Amino acid sequence: MPIVQVNNVTKVFKERSNSIPVYALASVSIEIEEGAFTAVCGPSGSGKTTLLNLIGCLDRPTEGTITLGGEAISSLPQRKLSALRLNKIGFIFQEYNLIPTLTAIENVEYVLWLQKVSAHERRKRAIEICQRFKIDKLVNRRPFQMSRGQQQRVAVARAIVHKPSIVLGDELTANLDHKTGTELMEFLRELNEKENITFLYATHDPAMMKLAHRIISLQDGKLINEKAAIQTDL
Amino acid sequence: MLLLKLAFLNIGRNPRRSAITVLAVGVGLAALIFLWGFSDGTNNQMRENVIRLLTGHVQIHAADFQKTLSAELIIPDRIPVLEKIKALPHVSSMTERAKCEALIGTSEKSRGILLTGIDPTSEILVTDLKNYIKEGEFLLPGDERKAIIGDRLAEKIQVGLGDKVVIMTQAMDGTLSGYAYQLKGIFHTGSQTLDEVSAYITLNSAQDLLGLGEETHEIVVRLNRRDAIPTFLSAIKEIVSQDQHEVLTWNEIMPEVEQWVDWSEAIIRTILMAVMIVIGVSIMNTVLMSVLERTRELGVMMAIGTTPGQVIRLILLETFVLELFGIALGLLGGYLVTFYFGQVGIAFPELERAFSRSYMSTVTYTHVEPFHVVQSILILLIMTSFIGLYPAWKAGRMEPIKAIYRP
Repeated sequence: MPIVQVNNVTKVFKERSNSIPVYALASVSIEIEEGAFTAVCGPSGSGKTTLLNLIGCLDRPTEGTITLGGEAISSLPQRKLSALRLNKIGFIFQEYNLIPTLTAIENVEYVLWLQKVSAHERRKRAIEICQRFKIDKLVNRRPFQMSRGQQQRVAVARAIVHKPSIVLGDELTANLDHKTGTELMEFLRELNEKENITFLYATHDPAMMKLAHRIISLQDGKLINEKAAIQTDL
Repeated sequence: MLLLKLAFLNIGRNPRRSAITVLAVGVGLAALIFLWGFSDGTNNQMRENVIRLLTGHVQIHAADFQKTLSAELIIPDRIPVLEKIKALPHVSSMTERAKCEALIGTSEKSRGILLTGIDPTSEILVTDLKNYIKEGEFLLPGDERKAIIGDRLAEKIQVGLGDKVVIMTQAMDGTLSGYAYQLKGIFHTGSQTLDEVSAYITLNSAQDLLGLGEETHEIVVRLNRRDAIPTFLSAIKEIVSQDQHEVLTWNEIMPEVEQWVDWSEAIIRTILMAVMIVIGVSIMNTVLMSVLERTRELGVMMAIGTTPGQVIRLILLETFVLELFGIALGLLGGYLVTFYFGQVGIAFPELERAFSRSYMSTVTYTHVEPFHVVQSILILLIMTSFIGLYPAWKAGRMEPIKAIYRP
């Protein structure tokens, strides 16, 4: 059963009422199955980030509908969208990912705190995930005391600690060197395979696309291709 | 708890800016506490000056005496009333007086005065008039035909120590009565009213002049503290007759003192509002800058599920924490400065003429009423929290997507 259904979605940006409308997405329809490891690719301005933002409840489509776990999200009020983002979605951004004043473990715990999980349970789950991600030696470091690769690992831990339905990543390796980026993506795929976590990430890096089960290609806001990627063994 | 921790940590991000804001709040509040200390100190001294120099805490007269000063309005049932007052709680001392309007003069000059007959022995327990003798001596029991007058009055009628003056008034029976008195002392209280229009003779002399016999016009009561007045008033109601007596507190006798206090407090409150606005703008600037600098971070926080309400609470907490630090600093600074000047005093010798009109002393010992400090802090908290709502509201209204991808 698809966890995400994007039905004929169009997103138009218009700076002012009299300015020319820009079609960031035009009649895009896709489905993401549970447990999928999917890449969205395309050149800059193709609509990758817009698609992720719409699925991630950060924006609303101009036309069309999106369902997440069977729930139509396009017309939900802000408060419900906040709750959906908190409970069903994990985000990994390209940068400015972590709260700079909090330590690594506090960043991981933050989402659980928002979910009102008890302090003891929060810390237990956060420590568990940090150990699994091999960042348990970094738990007391603040973001500026970690490398970018380490920061992204903490961001991944935060994105999955609350067991979301889907994890969205937007150019999450763009600021990392190739080796660190590849390591991070391989780590995500391992999580996907071992724990059946659904990942959808935007990238324009061919090496990162190769790791996906499926690639969705966008150009000028239109879906131009959808194919299974050539799998590489981990 | 995490929000509070975040608020503290966010404040520590730009220590210099936070310190400047805390300093602005602290200095503003310290200045306000000092201003209140100065005002309360001045006002308290003024009240005490009036009480110690003139009125005592409470006076008991025959009904309508204060308004008419008629010699025939002697205190009804004087002896039993006196005995009962002595037994009341909080009474520290009391004295009796005879009082009338009179004419004082020499062969060349004369002036209208308020003549008061005092019992020198008990008067010094109630008022401090003795301490203000500038030349000569204070009256003693048995000082018949001797008087003390204010220095301005002496100047006006051109008399000096040892000179003779004639005091004339209407006696109790309506006849004109007058005697010659030798000036035994000249006082200077600093109060224009007292120094220019007051003369004192002994109670016996006044009773003789007015034909009062043993009777008097005024019982002046000094209590052990000013805030005991309400207790004393409710107790004395049982003693005096509502129809025949009038019981007046010091501020009913001298209402202009409280009017002055109200006026000076209104000025302080105006200054308070101006200081609050400056402090409020300073806090708003700091918090707004902090919000603008963290736009992307706040966007990410909202993207991962932080609600606008939680963002608003975070920003308000940051404002509140800044205020609390500022208030702690202001309280400490304000109390230290007020305590210091409460000990050494602030002298204004050049303002003696201006101050003397309102019974103010030329040295002010600052003393702050806790109520005024609490009031200032509450106004500060309410006003700055209100001002802090703007950056908080602005942060809460951010759209995460715009905040995250802000150029």
